[in-house]
Formats: sequence, structure tokens, C-alpha cells
Amino acid sequence: MKTIKENALVKKLGFNRIILFAILLLMYVVFSLIIPGFAGMARIMSIFNYVYFLGFLALGVTFVIATGGIDFSIGPVMFCCALMSGYMLNTYGVPVVISILASIAIGFCFGCFNGSLVAFVGVPPFIVSMATMNIAKGLGSVFTKTQSVSWPQGNDPSGNGWFRNLVKVGDVPTGLIVFAVAVIILFIVMNHTKAGRYILCLGSNKEAVRLSGVDVRKWQMLAYVICGLMAGIAAIFFVGAYTTVQPGLGDTYNNEAIASCVMGGTSMAGGLASIGGTVIGVFVISLLQEGIMALRMTKEVQMIITGLIVIVFVYADVSARRRKN
Amino acid sequence: MGEVILTMKDIDKTFPGVHALDHVNFELEKGEVHALMGENGAGKSTLMKVLTGIYTKDSGSIIYEGREVEFHNTHDAQEAGIVIVHQELNMVGDLTVAQNIFIGREFMKGFMIDDRKMIEESRKLFDELHISIDPKARMSDLTVGKQQMCEIAKAISHKAKVIIFDEPSAALTEKEIEDLFAIIRDLRKQNLGIIYISHRMDEIKVITDRVTVMRDGTYVGTLITNDCTKEDIINMMVGRVIYEEPKTHSMVPADAPVVLKVDHLNAGKMVQDVSFELRKGEILGFSGLMGAGRTETARALFGADPKTSGDIYINGQKVEINSPRDAVKHGIGYLSEDRKRYGIVVQKTITENSTLATLEKYMAGLFINKAAEKAVTEQYIKELDTKTPSADQLVVNLSGGNQQKVVIAKWLVRNCDILIFDEPTRGIDVGAKNEIYKLMNRLASEGKSIIMISSEMTEILRMSDRIVVMCEGKKTGEIPIEEATQEAIMDKATRDIA
Repeated sequence: MKTIKENALVKKLGFNRIILFAILLLMYVVFSLIIPGFAGMARIMSIFNYVYFLGFLALGVTFVIATGGIDFSIGPVMFCCALMSGYMLNTYGVPVVISILASIAIGFCFGCFNGSLVAFVGVPPFIVSMATMNIAKGLGSVFTKTQSVSWPQGNDPSGNGWFRNLVKVGDVPTGLIVFAVAVIILFIVMNHTKAGRYILCLGSNKEAVRLSGVDVRKWQMLAYVICGLMAGIAAIFFVGAYTTVQPGLGDTYNNEAIASCVMGGTSMAGGLASIGGTVIGVFVISLLQEGIMALRMTKEVQMIITGLIVIVFVYADVSARRRKN
Repeated sequence: MGEVILTMKDIDKTFPGVHALDHVNFELEKGEVHALMGENGAGKSTLMKVLTGIYTKDSGSIIYEGREVEFHNTHDAQEAGIVIVHQELNMVGDLTVAQNIFIGREFMKGFMIDDRKMIEESRKLFDELHISIDPKARMSDLTVGKQQMCEIAKAISHKAKVIIFDEPSAALTEKEIEDLFAIIRDLRKQNLGIIYISHRMDEIKVITDRVTVMRDGTYVGTLITNDCTKEDIINMMVGRVIYEEPKTHSMVPADAPVVLKVDHLNAGKMVQDVSFELRKGEILGFSGLMGAGRTETARALFGADPKTSGDIYINGQKVEINSPRDAVKHGIGYLSEDRKRYGIVVQKTITENSTLATLEKYMAGLFINKAAEKAVTEQYIKELDTKTPSADQLVVNLSGGNQQKVVIAKWLVRNCDILIFDEPTRGIDVGAKNEIYKLMNRLASEGKSIIMISSEMTEILRMSDRIVVMCEGKKTGEIPIEEATQEAIMDKATRDIA
């Protein structure tokens, strides 16, 4: 066991991530064996649909968790983005390109709001994001007059349906390309830029970083801004796959995104984050969701399971740290 | 002498990189005050932490009241009657004295806490100890001395048989020390065993019956206090290591320019109207008792805490320093007394820590130039002789002295000209300490200017070219090294204390 852990390649990829990847494959095999017709492209495409939007949410929140913070507003913010920009599209007739940019801009604004409150005003992230969660739900409802919003289908006569090509073209999962590009960019940001370095260091010991002459507030805020931007992008992929959003919802995705992060090895205590780990975590959650649906169980069962996953992985992280000390 | 209550035999304890306790022996009798002495890093605190269950020993045995024991936490030890009165007091400031004393074992009246009974019992305890403290007072309103008395009362209320005092006098005034000694004599009469850790030689002679000396994690010997002289104890403490003599004259050329001038600096209660100058190549010692405001002065100067007023001049230019960022821009580096909290990011690598203050210099466009970063880190690992397998090592795995070197490297990479060393050798073992001293002397001779805050008199006298003494937030004196003596410093350090 020890020798495997010390192998250079294993070290680079991360032992825990390899295990998680193995679990992912095992889950897929088990679901395929116990559920007739589970194996096959149709299910995989359906899993991908879930991976895209959840992936963007989870990648965003990975940055926030890396600072030692938390964001419980991402799901509702994603819905708020989709509702507001979709309403603009349907009711005011703005071009779909503008709607998409609006969605990202709204997410960006939420990120700035959360980030400035946490970093500059000093309100605890937990409180800020809980409040923002309600603001996002409320704002989405008020803006759309409490009506659900449906984005155009691919064959919509207006021609606005082309944005669905971002998700898939025929049977080609183009979303996977967009997602992969995002993963690569965020991996580089986290591991090879000043932003990532400072975010990770301040998550580990904010005061030491501040006393090194770094403007920690700026970088802490940036993590929330990235998170908000990702929620805005996630919104596009959500409607691209599922068309309709209802006001007042979205919080179930908070837990799923956070579960993806902690499974992938990002520590809730801050300072340690793995973009690759988050991606595998997202696939695990998405597969789980698909499997549970295929077993004809309800979303509630999945909520219980993701809740437990968060607890188990956070416990594992906390006890690993305790052992180290 | 009384019967033996506690024997620690062959206690061994190793931390990564440090053999903290090397087969140490210790024995305590009932009704004796037993001093435990040694330099910082000699292993006194570690030994006491092993005794009270904070650390687990690697080997050896603890025999308490005739039985072999092993405590797993301080609570276990307390239950058995071994209580430690810490240097840093463990009190909840917002609770009352009585609530603090009975914390964790409150008297109950049905479902409710019986505050009245706790107050009564506290009063009884204080009477027993001849202390006058109001049990209803808020803990944070008391002086440090009074708070310590409460700790002692709490210890007694635990039916303690062994009480460990960890540098109890460090923050006390003369009067408070006398009161403390009266209590300790009282406890001795009641046949308790008392372990007394202190650096102050005079106190040892006054209050203790026996002295056990430790050095570099080893047991050196035990003496009867009355039969030995101060010199005997010092010799045992320092061993054959030739103790470097105090500096006799300033190493700073007479015409060295003033690089830093602090003019009437004010920041809260702890920094009142502090002014001083620092010259190129100088090591300016800051001496004083705990809580004299030295660290607060350094933090205000560095922009870590807000200041209320005062001007700072660097090389004759007035500068605005409102954040550490400003200070670093002006070439000031601060090495905190609490490395782990304020100095380093322990879960990150040496490289990441070394360039933390200078990252913009190691960028290739948007990306960090990791090769250049590693190169400079390796250069400083070599230059400072940091003991580590590689630059990729997590700082948490280094010993205290090597962690300190990483912090020094951080500021040298930044090329800071003014360095503030706050307790530079705290928690560092003797060998590494000498290295840090050498390094500071080298930096000064290369033209860096150093402010050194230290609570160790020997360190102050050995390193400083000039000494600023503070007491209760005010500067009470400035002594050139040629005229400095322990007595002169102590006199100024206690000047304002009533």
C-alpha cells in the first residue's frame, strides 16, 4: 500500500482521486448490472447534461472553499440567472447572445456582492451566502412575476435555439468540450497563477499572508467572483439541457456541488483544493442522480445520499488533519 | 523531607526533527517546591505536557502516588490531582470569576446552574488562600496577577496534590510576586507538591527547595537549592557550551544614517507616544516585561494594527503605512513572535512560503514561473543552511529553527532593509538559536537594520547595539549597549508599575 502511494505518478494524480475514480467506474458497472438498459449512450448523454451545470457550480465553489469560505447561494443564483436572462429573452425579445451574457453578468454581480461582504465588510461567508440564497430566490421570482421561464427549443422558429449547440449537436456532446476547456483554464488559474496561489495560501493562513504584504481582501473576493461567474455559465447549460426553470428553487444543487468538491479532496478548512478531484466528484454525483432516477426512486433519496456524502467526506478530512497534528 | 509523590523516569519524546526529551528523570516530594530550570527549548514545558497528558511519551514511566499512570488529557490529570497553572492563562474573559473557577463542573439546582453556590464556594477558596477577589467580577476586568490567583484557586478546588507553575511571575509586578510566594508557601505547608518553572534565578533561590536542571532535552541533575549558588545552576544549564558574552560595544559606525524614525506613535493602550530611531546596520533591542507593548509597537509600525497617530520616516522621507502591504513596499519585514499563526503558511511548501511576499517578481506573464521560484528558494535554503530534504517540503514538517529560517528567507527574497524580529528564538532549540544569532549579526553587518524584540535578557544583552525599554505601552528608557546591565534594564522595565 505504502509503495503504491509513493509512486511518482500516483503522487501526482493523488491517491484519493484515483480511488474516487475507481469508485466512479465501479458505480457505473454496478448500476449497469442491476438496472436493465442502464448501459448505453442514452444514459451517458443524460449524465453529461447533469455534469455540465453541476460541474460549473462545483468548480466555482471549489475556489470559495479553498479560501476557507462557503457559498450556499450558488444553486439559487444559477436559477436566478436563468430566470432573469430567460425572461429578458422571452418578454423583451433581446437577442439570445445578450441573454447569455446577461446571465453571466448577473452571476458576476452576485459574486461581487458575496465577495465584497465577506472580504471587505467581514461578514461570515455562511451568513452572507444564506442571505444571498434568499435574495436570489426572491429576485428571480419578482423579476419573472413568479412564473417559470422556458428557454427556446433547438428548432425554435425565432432561431434563438442555436445556443443549445453549446450542449450538444445531434448526438455529439459538445458541452463536454466547453466543460473541458473550462476545467483546463480553472486548473491553470488554481495552480499556476498568482490568484490561485494567494487563494490557497489565504485559505490556509490568512493572517500570515496579510502580514506578508498581500492584499488578501482582493483575492478573497476574487474567489467569490469566480464562483458567481460559474453560476452564470451553469445557468446556460442548465436551460440548454432542461429548458425550464422555476422560481424559488435551486438549493438542492448547493449540496451536490459542495459534495463534489469535498469528495475530490478540497478541504472545507481551506487551503487545499483539487480541480481534478472536483471534476471526478461531479461525475460521481451525476451518475448517482441518474442511477437513482433509473431505480425509480425520488430526488429526495438522492438528497439524503448527498447529505451523507458531505458528512462522511468532511469527517474523513477532519480526522486526517487531526492525525497529522 | 516528605515522601515522594511523583516520579518520572526515563521519559523519551521525539517530534519530527527534534529529540525533545532524551530519557529525562524527575522526582517530586510532598511539601516541596521543586524548580525546573533550563534554557528556552531545554524541554521543561514538553516534560510537563507529557506529565499532564497533552503529549504522549514515546517511552519511560510516570509513577504517581505509588502507581504507574498515563494520562490521556489534562482532564484525566486534573481528576487525579495534577494541575497546571499556565503562563498564558486559560480563562473565559466574559464569565465571572466564580463561573471560571467551576467551569465544566458547575453546581446545579435542578436544571439550572446554581450561581449562588459557586460564588459562595469561590469565596471560601479565596479566604483559604487569603486572596481578596470578588467572585462576581468579570474575569477580563482583573489584572493578570489577579487572574493568575484565580487559576491557583481553581487548581486548589480540584483537590490538587501537585501544582505546576509555568513561569508564573513573567507578567507579574513585584507586589504580585510577593503575594504569589505567600500562597505558594501556604500550599507547601498543606503538603502539596509544587513544580515551579522559571527563568528568574533570584526567585528560585527564594522560593524553592530543590532544583532540577534540563538542557537540550536531557536531564542534567538535581540540587538542593540552599546548598548551591546561582553560578552552579547556570553552569548546569549552559553546560560546556561556551556562552557568548554580552556585546560590549556597538557595532554601528558613528556616522551610520538613520533609516527609520518613529515619531510619537500611538495605537490604543499598549502603544503610547513611542519614538525611536533605527540606524543602518544596527540591531536595536526592545526589552520589557510581557505585555509591555513591544509587539504592539512593532505591529502598529508595520501596519498590521491601526495606529491612532504618529509619523514614520524612512531614510528621512515621511511615509504612510496603513497596512502590511504599505510596510512591505517600503522595505520593512516583520517576523512575528507567533510563527505558526502570523509567519508561515504551514500547510504549504518552503517555496510557496519563500516567495509569498514577492510573487510578482516570479511571474511570467499571467503565470507563476515555478522554476525561477524554486531556484531562489534553493539559493536561500543553501545560504541560511535550512535543513530540509527539498524546497518542496511542507513547512509543517520542519523544526522551529528551520521554520524561522523560512520566514527570514521570505523577507530576504523581498530584499527588505528593515527587519523586525519579534522573539526570534522562541521555541527554537539551543543549536538553532546560535545559528539565528549569527545570521542576524551577518545581516546587520551587510547593512540591514534590525529591530529585535526579546524577553530574554541574555539575548538582549548579547545581540543589541542599543536597547529600548518599554513598560505598559510607554518607552521608559534607551540604553546604549556600553551602559546596559540586567539591573538597569529591569529597573526601566518595571518603572511605571505601582
